[in-house]
Amino acid sequence: MITSKKWLAFVPAMALVVASCSSSSGSGAGTTSAGGGGSVAASASSVASSAASSGSSASSAATTGASTGGTEAVSQTQAGDLTFYMITHSDDGPFWSVVKRGAEQAAKDLGVKLVWKPGNNDPQVMVKDIEAAVAAGASGIAASLPNADALVGPLKAAVAAHVPVITLNSGSKDYQAIGALTHVGQSEDVAGSGAGDRLNAAGAKKVLCAQQEQGNSGLTERCQGLEKSFKGKVVTQFVGLDADTTAQQNTINAALAADPAIDAILGVGPVVTMSALRAAKDLGRKVTIGGFDLTPELLGAIQAGDIAFTVDQQQYLQGYMPILLLYLNVTNQNTLGGGLPILTGPGFVTKDNAAEVIKLSKQGTR
Amino acid sequence: MTLQGGGTEPLGSTPPDVDRREVWLEEPLTTIDKPSVQPAEPELMVANRGATASAVAPDGDERLAYRSVFQRLFMRPEVGAIIGAVGIWTFFWAVSGTFGTVGQTFGWLDTAATLGIMAVAVSMLMIGGEFDLSSGAMTGAMGMLIIYLVKATGALGGRGFPLELAIPLSLALALGIGYLNGWMVERTGQPSFIITLGTFFALIGLKLGLAKRFVGQIQIGRTDEASDFKYFRPFFAAEWERNKHEFAQRDFWYIALVAAGVLISILAVCELWFKRRAEPKATGLVQFLVSAAVGIAAGIGLNVTDGVGANLAIGVLIALCIVVGLHGWVSWRYEPIGERGSVALDSTMIRRTVLGLALVVLGGVVAVVMDSKSTNNFVFPFTTQGVRVMLASALGVAGLTLLAMVSQAALRVNAASKFIATSALALGIAVIAATIYIASKAPKFRAALFPFLLFLAVLIFTWGMLASRFAERRAVAARADRLGNRMLALGILSVLIGLAIRMLFITKAELLAGVPPAKTSVRLLWFALFTAAMMWVLARTRFGSWTFAVGGNKEAARQVGVPAARTKTKLFMLVAFAAWFVGILVAFRINSIQANAGDGQEFLYIIAAVVGGTLLTGGYGSAFGGAIGACIMSIPLIGISSARWNTDWRFLIIGTILLLAVVSNRYLRTKAGAVRR
Repeated sequence: MITSKKWLAFVPAMALVVASCSSSSGSGAGTTSAGGGGSVAASASSVASSAASSGSSASSAATTGASTGGTEAVSQTQAGDLTFYMITHSDDGPFWSVVKRGAEQAAKDLGVKLVWKPGNNDPQVMVKDIEAAVAAGASGIAASLPNADALVGPLKAAVAAHVPVITLNSGSKDYQAIGALTHVGQSEDVAGSGAGDRLNAAGAKKVLCAQQEQGNSGLTERCQGLEKSFKGKVVTQFVGLDADTTAQQNTINAALAADPAIDAILGVGPVVTMSALRAAKDLGRKVTIGGFDLTPELLGAIQAGDIAFTVDQQQYLQGYMPILLLYLNVTNQNTLGGGLPILTGPGFVTKDNAAEVIKLSKQGTR
Repeated sequence: MTLQGGGTEPLGSTPPDVDRREVWLEEPLTTIDKPSVQPAEPELMVANRGATASAVAPDGDERLAYRSVFQRLFMRPEVGAIIGAVGIWTFFWAVSGTFGTVGQTFGWLDTAATLGIMAVAVSMLMIGGEFDLSSGAMTGAMGMLIIYLVKATGALGGRGFPLELAIPLSLALALGIGYLNGWMVERTGQPSFIITLGTFFALIGLKLGLAKRFVGQIQIGRTDEASDFKYFRPFFAAEWERNKHEFAQRDFWYIALVAAGVLISILAVCELWFKRRAEPKATGLVQFLVSAAVGIAAGIGLNVTDGVGANLAIGVLIALCIVVGLHGWVSWRYEPIGERGSVALDSTMIRRTVLGLALVVLGGVVAVVMDSKSTNNFVFPFTTQGVRVMLASALGVAGLTLLAMVSQAALRVNAASKFIATSALALGIAVIAATIYIASKAPKFRAALFPFLLFLAVLIFTWGMLASRFAERRAVAARADRLGNRMLALGILSVLIGLAIRMLFITKAELLAGVPPAKTSVRLLWFALFTAAMMWVLARTRFGSWTFAVGGNKEAARQVGVPAARTKTKLFMLVAFAAWFVGILVAFRINSIQANAGDGQEFLYIIAAVVGGTLLTGGYGSAFGGAIGACIMSIPLIGISSARWNTDWRFLIIGTILLLAVVSNRYLRTKAGAVRR
């Protein structure tokens, strides 16, 4: 209950509405969420203060802030400031660090505070973070939705508490059920279709859609999207895990050798795409190769002309846009997208823009 | 003899003499054969011990009784895996258009190489009674470490070391982690399963954390930024492009070496099986030499003639040469049987023989009658072709199984019955060969499977004939065993060299036919060398004996003076060494490594070891089995892709193989154990 009194003071504009809801609904969890709420607010201020510095120092600052917690940091937050929470299943890998940079840049551009909460693929952590964010009086929440069963409930509760919610990256199927403003992300299906169009343009007749995981719905949707737009035949095959690239390469080699009609490969991940390239080279086959996502290796191969294109999610936008949209919603009651998801992809990297993208990815924004 | 590492000595090895034990152990141990040192699992240990304990038995100890060459063969841990590998290979060869090609063979061998080096090391560790769950993550970690060390310094991290520094540094670290694993297992007394699970997670975290901390990415490249990359590349990644190596006489050498190897192997089995006669019979040798000369001439003739009639005539001539020639050789060296007896099959045997032959013929009829037009698509169950193939195969296999059972049972009746029963089996195989020739339109069946099965039929017939006319040796003869084992090793080596020549070189005709490029690399050589080295260590060194000892019963081993803790720690370090080596191979192969490389592979290593006949409980197994197990894992991987099957079923197939392997290994072991007495 201590926290709810505090953020009554911090967020006067929305105070009356939010406080009446959360103090009635949150009374059961009051004692447990008090400490968490305080620490979240603390990390909010420290991240915001170090947002201009480099990414790694920001994250270390966030960790120290979260671990120390306390009331002192909370009192630094000034009335009228907007604090947006970005709660994702981020593992802080190369992909998510770009999302984070986008969000940080948006926060800096708009003069708002950002709290970055990586869940490291653990929905339970995300549930706690979402509840804590609501309890701490977030001005808005941007959340990824990798696991609908676990996360739809807490996010609905957030919307019910009049916290605007935008989903990002994953969750294009469930954001409407939550009552989120919109979804910012790449539809895997549309991305696959986009790749199919590219392969059509390249004149391919039969494409191997090479998957590096079995039963991953995102990867399956990429191949299904490809089937929708591609004019020729699509062979979808699991070719082995990224953990064993030798097996991956030899499996693709076998698939190519067994079917001379295959003249294109779409790898639905960057590692499997490179395996496909090596397999095709070993067999001396001319095939058009497309890939997904960016790695330095893959970008190099595109620049060298070995790989035709790669599908880029442009995840920087997945960090930047939700913060911008939340800001516009809170300050000006705007919504964008008309209830439909806002797609950040597919963007394509080809030989034409590879050099630029390599430069940008070194800066950490692609 | 308890401490002698059983199943893993190479087939061509002589059983160790009793007095060698004293060389193996630091001090002579008298307690070793006493009943007080009983292993924890009597049944398994009996099998293990029996595998080598074929030395002279002065006191009539049944454990040291003489065992025939086939019994010895089937006692080996990896024999089930070898049969399985051949079966799976044949299956995918049959259902896929490209699986049997040289390019795809390189494909599955290459996949097996990195898996296999680890599986061999993990087999050793498992024989020693421990697990290492960190081995998979370790391969990736070592690859990343090497790349990080040699990577040019700059915005994206890297140390810029030369490889000559990075390689020993990373090796030292790998051995250190292996040592740590062993030390912790020994010190805490906790199961290695738990300890190495901890190391596994620690390594995964380290890989990810350090990569992002120092390089800012989870993928780290590139190996070729090392200043001395080009000097090291040949050792770890030299490639061989088959299509660039033409060898006009390739087929001559291939056929000559394989034929000679098979012949020497057969003669070796004769040497191991039959009893020498006091005075050699010179006419037999003449008979052998003349038949061999005629056979070789006929073989050359096969190359020049054309047309079905001539080929058939020459085929019959070669078959005759095999029968007559082998008879000559055996009658030259070995003692004939005095009393052959008259055919005395009981009613069950006769019924089974008739039924077996009937089933084989019925299978042939099904195959011919149910002929379907769609020759391409006989892959899976629901087409007419699929039903036809499955029905015919099931009938054929059932028939052959019955015939084989009868010929086994007839062994115990008398020589003449055995001859009849074995001939029936040969006849069954010949019928199947004929069926394939008549019913199949696929050229590869007619050109490869048909002559192979005919050859097999002739061989089985000849063997039945010889075994019913000449006396089986029923006692140990050290010199004959040594000679036989060496001949067998030579024969197998000759076949392997012949196959390697066939694989590595291309002929003008193939080039003109547009054979797709096939590429292999030095990795295969490392795989073979590492496997051979570990087989040698297990079979021929004190450390190998200790490995079996600590895995079988650690306390007993300790009591007789085996340094158990040190042995286990060394085994952990061996696995770490293998992981380091595989890490280098991968780093040189793909030039960059992602943080999750190798994660989860440790279970494949363990599966490969188990499929290869190594026991989860320790104390029994073989290094060679691990290598074969790796092949069994990789063949379906490439095979399913080659056969263009739906890959959703992949894990079902791998799981089934694992179950079959474990069950059949156990069956073979108990069977061989029972036959022994």
